[in-house]
Amino acid sequence: MNEDKPTVLDWFSRRLNLTEIFSLLTSYGIYYGELDSRKPLKEALAEAEKRPVALYSRWPRILSLIAVVLIGLELLTGGLLALYYLPTPDSAHPSLGTILRDVHFGDFVHQMHFWGAQLLILVLILRVIRYFLGSVYKAPRELIWVFGALLLLAAFHLDLTGRALPMTDQGYWSSVRALEIVGAVPIYGPLVHFLVGGDGAFITELTLIRFYVLHVAVLPIVAVTLIYLYFSTIRRVGLGDAKHGNEVQSQRVLRSQLLTMAIVLTLVFGLLVTLAVIAPKPFEREADPFATVPGVGPPWYLLAPFGFLEWMPSFVPQWIAGLILFLAFTLFLAVPFLDRSTKGSMGRWVALTIGLLIMVAWLVFTIYGGRVA
Amino acid sequence: MKPIIKSCQLLSLLMMVLAGQGARLVAQEQCGVCHPESRVEFDKSRHAQEGVSCTDCHRGDGNTLDTEAAHRRGFRSLGDRQTSPAMCAECHSDIEKMRPYNLPVDQYAVYQISQHGQAVARGDVKAAVCTDCHGVHDILRVGDPASSTYSRNIPSTCARCHTDASMMEPYGLPVAVVDDYQSTVHGRALLEEGNTAAPNCTTCHGVHGATPPGVGDVNKICGACHDQTRQAFIEGPHGEAMVAAGLPECASCHSNHAIERFQPDDVISLCGECHGVESEQATLGTKMHTLVDSAAEQIEEAGLIVERAERAALRIEDYEARLEGARTYLTEALPLVHTVTIEPVEQVTRRARSIAEEVQHEIYGELDRTEEHLGLALFWFYVLMTLVILVLFKRRLRAASEPS
Repeated sequence: MNEDKPTVLDWFSRRLNLTEIFSLLTSYGIYYGELDSRKPLKEALAEAEKRPVALYSRWPRILSLIAVVLIGLELLTGGLLALYYLPTPDSAHPSLGTILRDVHFGDFVHQMHFWGAQLLILVLILRVIRYFLGSVYKAPRELIWVFGALLLLAAFHLDLTGRALPMTDQGYWSSVRALEIVGAVPIYGPLVHFLVGGDGAFITELTLIRFYVLHVAVLPIVAVTLIYLYFSTIRRVGLGDAKHGNEVQSQRVLRSQLLTMAIVLTLVFGLLVTLAVIAPKPFEREADPFATVPGVGPPWYLLAPFGFLEWMPSFVPQWIAGLILFLAFTLFLAVPFLDRSTKGSMGRWVALTIGLLIMVAWLVFTIYGGRVA
Repeated sequence: MKPIIKSCQLLSLLMMVLAGQGARLVAQEQCGVCHPESRVEFDKSRHAQEGVSCTDCHRGDGNTLDTEAAHRRGFRSLGDRQTSPAMCAECHSDIEKMRPYNLPVDQYAVYQISQHGQAVARGDVKAAVCTDCHGVHDILRVGDPASSTYSRNIPSTCARCHTDASMMEPYGLPVAVVDDYQSTVHGRALLEEGNTAAPNCTTCHGVHGATPPGVGDVNKICGACHDQTRQAFIEGPHGEAMVAAGLPECASCHSNHAIERFQPDDVISLCGECHGVESEQATLGTKMHTLVDSAAEQIEEAGLIVERAERAALRIEDYEARLEGARTYLTEALPLVHTVTIEPVEQVTRRARSIAEEVQHEIYGELDRTEEHLGLALFWFYVLMTLVILVLFKRRLRAASEPS
C-alpha cells in the first residue's frame, strides 16, 4: 500500500550501503551469520532470518556475547573517564579525585569501569576453560582457541596498564609487582621494561604516558580486532562443538538473538551497578615511589605466576622460573596443535586429565600467591 | 755522639717530609721522635689543629733531641691527677685565649664546686678530672661525633665510672642510673632516634659542675624544657607542699633516671602512694586521667573515620585540620594535669572531645549510603520489569515461529 512512499531507511539505503554497515555489526556478535551486502538491508535481513543457524545466545556460548557487551561498556566508560583524567605522575591522582568528587556521575562511571574490567577478565577466563572442556579447539576451530587465549592476554594487559594510571599506592605497587613478574620472563620481560621506560622498580612519567597510550589506544584496538577475528572464524567454521556439531536449534535467529542480547545486557548492567554501589573500589592514597606499601600483591589473576615465582627455591635463577612461565604460556596457546585426539579416545582422556591438573595447579598457586603477598 | 744525633735528626726530618707531613711539622717540636704514640694521638686532636704544641702543656724544650735537655726548662709530666685540672685552666680560664673560640672561661671554677672537683680537692683522686672525660692527648671538640663528650656519647662516657659497682660503692651511689636512663623516653630519643636535642646526663646534672639537683631545684631543671608543665605544677597545691615536705618535686612521681610516662593503671596507685588509695585525691587523679584518656580515644576514633572518609573519596582537609586542633587541646591537657585541679583539665579535654565528636558525626552523615541503597532497590525494580518484558517478547517470538 505504502510501498511507493519512501521511508527514512529507504532514503539512507539509497545513499549508503546499510547492509555492509550492519554486517560490520554482525562481526561483533550481534548476529554471526553472513549477510549478502549486495542486497538492500531489508532483503538481506529477511534472507538471513530464513537461513537456519545454531542459536548463539545460549549458555555457555553466551560468554562471548557477555565479553562483547563488557568490552563495549569499558570503551564507553573509559571514554568518559578520559575526558577528565590527566596522565602525568603529579596530576593523575588529583584528576581521579576530581572525577570521583566533582564530576557528575564520575564516581559511578569509575566504579563501572573498574568492575566491568574485573568481570571481563573473569568471563574471558571462564570462556577459555569452557573451550577446553567442550574441546572447542579441534580442527577446524584451532583459531577460536588462539584468539580466545590472546584476548585473555590482551585483557590482562589492559587491566595491568589501567591499574597504574591513577597513581594510587595500591595500584602503583601492584603494577610494580606485576612488572616484576613480567620482567622474569626472558626476552618479553626486558622488552616490556624497555617499552614502558622503567626498570620495574619505578613508574616514571614516561611509564605512565606509555601505559596510558597502551591502555586507551593500542590494547583496545588489539582487543576489538581479536573479537572481530573470533567472530570471523565463527562465521567460517560454525559454532558447533564436539557434542552438538552444527545442528540447527531454531530459526528466526536474528530477532531472538537481539532480544537475548538485550536481556544479557540488562543483567550485566544490573550486576555491575550493584557491584559499583555495594562494593565500591576505595579511593586509595596517592602513591609514594619511595615508600613501599606492605602487603600489596599483584592483581588477583596474576597471583598464580607470582606464587610460582615466590615458590621457586632461591638457588634457581629468576630467568629459569620466567622461562618456565613463558613455555607454559606458549604451550597454552598451542593446545589445539598439541591435542589432536578424537572424541572418546584415550588421548582425549589424557588431555582432559592434564588440563584439569594444570587448572588445579593454577588454583593452588593462586592461593599460595595470595598468602605470600 | 754528636754526628750520630745529627744524622738521626736529619733522618727523622726526612722521614716526616716523606710521610707527607710537609713543612708544617718540620717546624714543630721533636718530642714525637721518642714519644711517637703520644704524638700520633695528639696529631688527631683539636689542640694540634689549633697549633697548641707539646711544650705548651708539658713545658721543657721541644727543639732538641737530647733527652736530658728536652726534659729541663720546667718540664712537667701532668700525671698528678690532683693538680692537672689547674693546668688545663691555665689556658681555658684565660679570657684572651678563649675569646676567639667563644669558649666559656668559668669551666675550672664550676668544676671546683662540682662533686668531682670537691672530691679531688679533698685528695680523693679517683674522682673525675678533665682528662677522664675529654681524653689526654686525643682531645676532640665537643661537636665531633667521635668525641667522648659529643652529646650522644655522654651517657657512655659517664657510664665508664658510674656503672662500676666497686668504684661507686664507697660513695653509696647507684650503678643502674645509665641503664635506667637508656630505657627512658629521653634516652631512647637521644640514643635510638638520634635526636641530639634530647637531654643527656649533663643536661640535668650540669657539665663541669656535675652535681645531683636538690629538692626545690628539680622542678627548675625539668622546667627548662617542660615549661608549661612546671608552671602548672607550681600553680597547683603540689608545688609548695612537696618542697616543704622535702620531696623531690617531679621525681617523686616520675622517678629520676627511669623517667616514664604514666600508664593508666599507675595513676591510681601513684596518687594513692602518698594520699591513700581510697582518698579524695586518688579519685581526683583517676578522674583527670579518665578525662584525658577518653578525649584521646575519641580523637583516635575520629582519625579512623577520617581515613574511611578518605577511602570513600570525601574531602577530608577540613576534618583533618579540625582534628589537629583537637589534638592540640589534648596536648594542652597534659601539662594542666599537673595543677591537680579538675577544672582546667576538664575545660580543654571537653573541647578536644567535642571537636572529635563533631567531626565523627559529620563524616557519618556524609558516609551514609542509605539513599544509594534505596536507589539500587529502585533500579532493580526497573531491571526486573525490563527483563519480564523482554522475556515475554521472546516467548511470543518463539510461539510465532513454532507453527511455521
